[in-house]
Amino acid sequence: MNIWERMEKIDRRWIYLLVAIAVIIPFIIPVRFPVSVTPETKDIYDYIQAMPDSSVVILSFDYYPSTLAETQPMAIAAMNQFFRKDMKVITLSNIPLGGPSLAELVTREVAKEYHKVYGIDYVNLGYKANYVAVLKGMGTSIESIFPTDNSGTPLKDLPLMHKVKNYSDVKFIFDIADNATADYWVSIVNAGYGVPMAVGATAVMAPKLYAYVGAKQIVGLLGGMKGAAEYEILLNKRASAFRGMDVQSLVHFLIIALVILGNVGYFAGRRYRRKAGL
Amino acid sequence: MKTLAPVAIAFISGIILVVSFFFNESTTFVGGLSEEILVWVTIVGGFTLLLGVVSITRVNLAAVRARKENWVYRLITLISIFAMAIPSVFPSSWSPLFGRQTGSIYDWLFVTMDMPMMATMFATLSFYIASAAYRAFRARNAEATLLLVTAVLVMLWRVPIGEAFLNLFPGHIPQLINEYVMNGVNLAVQRGIIIGAALGAAAMSLRIILGIERTYMGRG
Amino acid sequence: MIVFSAAILWYTRMARQGKSLFLRKIPGLNAVEEAVGRATEMGRPVLFIPGIQELDEIQTIAGISILGRVAKITAQYETPLMVPVRYPLVLAAGQEVVEQSYIEMGKGDSYDQDMVRYVAGEQFAFTANVNGYMMREKPATNIYMGAFFAESLLLAETGNAAGSIQIAGTAQPEQLPFFIAACDYTLMGEELYAASAYLSHEPVMLGGLKGQDLLKMIITILIIVGVILVSLGFGDTFISWFNAV
Repeated sequence: MNIWERMEKIDRRWIYLLVAIAVIIPFIIPVRFPVSVTPETKDIYDYIQAMPDSSVVILSFDYYPSTLAETQPMAIAAMNQFFRKDMKVITLSNIPLGGPSLAELVTREVAKEYHKVYGIDYVNLGYKANYVAVLKGMGTSIESIFPTDNSGTPLKDLPLMHKVKNYSDVKFIFDIADNATADYWVSIVNAGYGVPMAVGATAVMAPKLYAYVGAKQIVGLLGGMKGAAEYEILLNKRASAFRGMDVQSLVHFLIIALVILGNVGYFAGRRYRRKAGL
Repeated sequence: MKTLAPVAIAFISGIILVVSFFFNESTTFVGGLSEEILVWVTIVGGFTLLLGVVSITRVNLAAVRARKENWVYRLITLISIFAMAIPSVFPSSWSPLFGRQTGSIYDWLFVTMDMPMMATMFATLSFYIASAAYRAFRARNAEATLLLVTAVLVMLWRVPIGEAFLNLFPGHIPQLINEYVMNGVNLAVQRGIIIGAALGAAAMSLRIILGIERTYMGRG
Repeated sequence: MIVFSAAILWYTRMARQGKSLFLRKIPGLNAVEEAVGRATEMGRPVLFIPGIQELDEIQTIAGISILGRVAKITAQYETPLMVPVRYPLVLAAGQEVVEQSYIEMGKGDSYDQDMVRYVAGEQFAFTANVNGYMMREKPATNIYMGAFFAESLLLAETGNAAGSIQIAGTAQPEQLPFFIAACDYTLMGEELYAASAYLSHEPVMLGGLKGQDLLKMIITILIIVGVILVSLGFGDTFISWFNAV
């Protein structure tokens, strides 16, 4: 094999090794590049900031543990902004595998920092099967869908839920999702009940959700780890997403370099074969 | 009867769900029917979980009994299934180890084993994306070149150092990418695909409701 | 809704009356039979995944419909078929469809219930199992038809590493780039829903497709009219027509 063919057909195992090195290096030598904020993220931050303090909001944990790196920082940052404004937060999940546990983990951790009390400042409703029925049913009565919270406490025993009966008592919904539930929140809840919404989604899903931003069905969009990092910067609370930007930067550059290498090998190899009469 | 019954059930339930969309579900009987049907779907789905457990147990148990290749991994599969399922079925009032709350066997296995494994599998995507991009992004023709250039620009735009690199060039390239690529071309294309797919889904649903499409039943 | 239903019923009626309806070529679907033939020659199985969503997802139903067609071809050529599924309802439907296909081709004895098997309920457990199968058994042909999420690239890249020819179809816009990069043929969006009609060539099914195309044309005309009106400053008037409806 000549050099051009080698460049054109690098064994995938070398590529995997290079990616592994590119992921490890930033942990050893952190750089912390400055992150600029996109309008889609700023719109979410500004909208929530403009809301009255003590508003009731819903934060939906619709992501699997597999996408924790991208989505968990969004949820943590959102909880921080909500608690800073003394908002009352209702969390739930449409994901059976880990959703309620993740909601418990995040809410209790952030609540400790702001001295928030469960049942008064925040409630975790947990998970119920059949998310279409859940999202529709909550429009009529949240208690009919979730008679108890995640720990089995009846909603009537939770002071926060005395004043929240259905979507008309909720001022904003923030859905953090890595699957199609974001589409259902928008098409059922925002379209049907008019509750303002924002979505935090994985980078893979973000391009599709720009359609909802353009149609003003959602106030803004957090796209992947970069979106989470932007949100952390706006809240002045740089955490795991911001730190992850170093890794993402290096890996993106590696992929671009490999693509360029592959194309150089392709074109030079093609010319070489033509000249050699192959 | 074997053909007629499923078609009739599909027709009746499909028509009810379509018609009930136009009625208020809390004040009308027709509107409330759709919620009732969705509840039935959940209940039927719960029963069918048994099917899955029976299938996976039968296949793996047969392989273990016959000592087929890699039978040890199949045995681990069976042990894992029942090790998680059995403690979670018992009520938590019997012991804090039962049920699915924090501190239970189910929760411990999920948090210490399942979650890291799920995250690991998702993380392998980064390796696969690198090899797929290296192999697929070749400027073989005009469309492939356009794909390549767009992909490189968006990859640069999405990372801080890439954005800083693009800002070295005149013309506010990152803002242009956000405005014209993500909120322009990408938005239009996504809408087109979503509209097309939604129409395709609606047409297929109509064919199923009317009994024209029956291949999903194994007939026609 | 009414216009849509009327269009589909009209064209279906035309098809039943014997009028020929033009359908453009879809390379991915034309390649299915060839791909199964390749598997037969190589003596290796065909892997078919009808998506990873439940049976209430319309893409899964489309995938199961295509499975029925593919199963007829594998029955005809006596090619081993493997269909891993993620949900029990999909398992039941898949087994029924494959069995029926084998019986219709006169190969009922070749049908094995374990051709369609429940693998795992969790997305990445399913993916890990299927990837392991691909690397061990090296299927000659992988067909992915249905709803896929993050595992799409994991499956497609592993299939590529195993040397399989791959045909994918999904209506998830965010997964299309991964399939396009890693698969030999990709069906985009509504091509997945058209596949069953396309492969069967049944006039009645083709009629449904044409009706759908008519509605798309109406929507396209409305979009162009809307763009012109908004550009001329009559956007509010245009939007008020729809609010009135």
